[in-house]
Amino acid sequence: MNYEQLAKKIVQKCLKRGAKQAEAFLQVGRSADVRVRDGEIEDLTQATSKGVGIRVFVKNRQGFVWTSDFDPHALDQLIDRAIAIAEMSAPNPLNGLPTAADLGKIPNVGELFDPRVAELPDDWKIKAAVEMEKVVRAHDSRIKTIDSVGAGESVSDVYLASSAGMHGSYQGTSVYLYASPVATDGTQLQTSYWYDAKRFFEDLDSPENVAKKAAARAVRLLGAKKVKSQKVPVIFDPTMAAGFVGSVAAAASGDAVFKKSTFLASKLNAKIAPVNVSIIDDGVRKRGLATSPFDGEGVPTRRTPIVENGVLKAFLYDAFTARKAKTKTTGNASRGYQSLPHIGFNNLLMEPGTKSPEEIIKEIPNGLYVTAMLGRGANMVTGEYSRGANGLWIENGELKQPVQEITVAGNMNDMLQQLDAIGSDLTFHGSTGAPTIRFKELTVSGE
Amino acid sequence: MARGADFAEVYAERTDFTAVTLEEDKVKSAQNGLSQGVGVRVISGARVGYAYSDDLDEEALLRAARTAAFIAQGKGSDQSFNVSRTPLPTFYRLDQHLSTIDVARKRDLVVRANKAARAYDKRIKQVSATYADSTKRILVANTTGHLAEDTQDMCRISTSVVAEGKGGERRTGSFGGGGRVAFTHFDTFTPEQVAKEAARQAIAGLGAAEAQAGQQTVVLAPGWSGILLHEAVGHGLEADFIRKGTSLFAGKLGEKVASDLVTVIDDGTMANARGSLNVDDEGNPAQFKVLIERGELKGYMFDSLNAKLMNQKSTGSGRRESFKHLPLPRMTNTYLAPGESTPEEILKSVDSGVYCANFGGGQVDITNGNFVFEVSEAYEIKKGKLAKPLKGVTLIGVGPEALKKVSMVGNDPKPDPGMGTCGKDGQSVPVGVGLPTLRIDDMTVGGTKVGGKR
Repeated sequence: MNYEQLAKKIVQKCLKRGAKQAEAFLQVGRSADVRVRDGEIEDLTQATSKGVGIRVFVKNRQGFVWTSDFDPHALDQLIDRAIAIAEMSAPNPLNGLPTAADLGKIPNVGELFDPRVAELPDDWKIKAAVEMEKVVRAHDSRIKTIDSVGAGESVSDVYLASSAGMHGSYQGTSVYLYASPVATDGTQLQTSYWYDAKRFFEDLDSPENVAKKAAARAVRLLGAKKVKSQKVPVIFDPTMAAGFVGSVAAAASGDAVFKKSTFLASKLNAKIAPVNVSIIDDGVRKRGLATSPFDGEGVPTRRTPIVENGVLKAFLYDAFTARKAKTKTTGNASRGYQSLPHIGFNNLLMEPGTKSPEEIIKEIPNGLYVTAMLGRGANMVTGEYSRGANGLWIENGELKQPVQEITVAGNMNDMLQQLDAIGSDLTFHGSTGAPTIRFKELTVSGE
Repeated sequence: MARGADFAEVYAERTDFTAVTLEEDKVKSAQNGLSQGVGVRVISGARVGYAYSDDLDEEALLRAARTAAFIAQGKGSDQSFNVSRTPLPTFYRLDQHLSTIDVARKRDLVVRANKAARAYDKRIKQVSATYADSTKRILVANTTGHLAEDTQDMCRISTSVVAEGKGGERRTGSFGGGGRVAFTHFDTFTPEQVAKEAARQAIAGLGAAEAQAGQQTVVLAPGWSGILLHEAVGHGLEADFIRKGTSLFAGKLGEKVASDLVTVIDDGTMANARGSLNVDDEGNPAQFKVLIERGELKGYMFDSLNAKLMNQKSTGSGRRESFKHLPLPRMTNTYLAPGESTPEEILKSVDSGVYCANFGGGQVDITNGNFVFEVSEAYEIKKGKLAKPLKGVTLIGVGPEALKKVSMVGNDPKPDPGMGTCGKDGQSVPVGVGLPTLRIDDMTVGGTKVGGKR
């Protein structure tokens, strides 16, 4: 089936049936995943999927429908449904597709598709997963079982057509490895999770490395204990730091800013962090897992510094919220075919600093190194941050006693100001990257 | 079966979705969606093959079957299997499926919620309201001759608000509910009630003080606080974790894992509850299961694959988010049986502690048992009475240890209003929880204040 044509045809039909504006966002994909246990396949899943989301505007009212059924008769009925359902929503002059000026020129973001990933045989995934399980179990005799070890890939196509003159498509691949072993010392069980995901096969970490990291992270938590409640320096390893970066970026959502429901709402151009802190939303990063030529509304993606040298430089927008805030979209309309566009991220990263993670730890006489967290934790409206944490206690600059059943808490306003060390070890875990970071002082709750 | 598999199953699903969202005093969008497809599962020993597709033609289905059968490497024969239907009770028969209700009536609910939230107090500055429903039809047939069909309606209304107090202080509140209920549910569980409760929470939080970090006695309000149970013990009793030995409850059957006052039940047969099922997603009837009885571990929750591998029987706990997912052992409606104390007695018994009135989300690491849950409305308890509101409170504990510290259980059992969704392995399913008023001693309270007087 020619999906590009189908998307265009849907838009034309919507206009014919009375829509003032229309847009079709179509996704087609396939994926495969293998998990192993005891050297054998535990499960193997293969999938094909497709779907289209159709957005119409009738008299400034928005209607939205989606389906995975591409039967022409069913699509016709659904288009009528979209137009009818638009009547249910309120008219809003700010509603509508991005303008021609918003759409602009689609950037060259380089290759997103790796034929080697698209043709990855099941055999490779099975072998890689079997090897990871072997390495995990061989790493330490205290690793007695696994939660899961596996490998997989996906190929996905996006086709977008709209009455604003946008039509485009792209195809991307992704390939991943993951391992989650369980270690026990007879009294306690501890687990960890490590993975790597890339667009290109040759960028992917080796099964051996993924397995070793996973194993080491589980074993070192054995014997974890609670600590006394206290205020101490706290270090987030790069995976935990990536979560923090995600929370900061979420607070920079233009929609939340407009509604004043983020603690960053009044801080544009203010210095919110030390001068060595920069956080970037980068839609055009070469070979990035979340790199794409255009966003969920067809607007070109770009590189948007959110925080630059400690100063809050930009909020993230899609077309509708940009219009509300009397500014321009930043190409951050995120969506699948089952959802309306909403503000999301492309590749997100915190720029690395100059200190090695070892130095950052070494400078701390008494503090906490966090390697896993529980709970959503961050309240965007108030900036309050409180999460369950696992990790290692730092004594005289060295990682010592494993700890659990504690929380770390602070206010994100203060936490940003308290960032007193940024590591040189920028690590991408999926589409968000961060280095090791250190907060001068957070509250640790325990005994 | 031509490749010598032990078991094969077809799961077909069609789900109609409707949602209406309101923001900034305006109905932002109304939407309809349709998801349909088929998943084919083949089991050979402990190996599972799964293939799904949203194409429903015969060729696509046969391709899926061949793909799923890749894991079976023996020789078998092409055979026909007669399947038959077992009559089932129903726990949620609706006179009219939700997908057929006029969208305008659904829209009216969010409009009313918005109005009521704003009318509650002029300090309410932001209101968003959502109504969402789904009508899901499933059919499961397998080579043991079993065929089951079910239609599962579900709906929910929810409202979130932001209140603004002195000096730009902002507090949030949210509330909602529904279940496998008829649309007339909202005649008695009105959008006005939902909105007022969300608004009340936000206003009550204005002026909240920092919470004291460290171990304290906590009292949990009844109802939605049942997510404590869901996180602290529920997940750890799911059979896949038990079979793999990754749960700290593995091998503890018959052992004491909680205080004598604790009896935990998972019940998929509660009338119209969000987690109820006539049949699970493997076609097995839902059940009433006692998981912990007076502190003693009595049973786990099984899907059919883990049951077979462990020589047990399915407990009707095999659930999946959609045809795009393999079934996993999951909870349905999980609650704590009532005790004998009155809520007043429980509060009175605490000299100094924290009263947890409302909750955000929770999460558990089933391996080390660490769980957290976020308390969205909390008060200091002083000499048996509620004192000032507290902000940023998180509770953390290790499942069995926390349950051993349960010192009083209320006589006021209460289900949640029907707003829970549980995530596991990337799959979301609706669940119910419930709890009477509960006192737990020495819980670790995450806060920002250290030292000072308790």
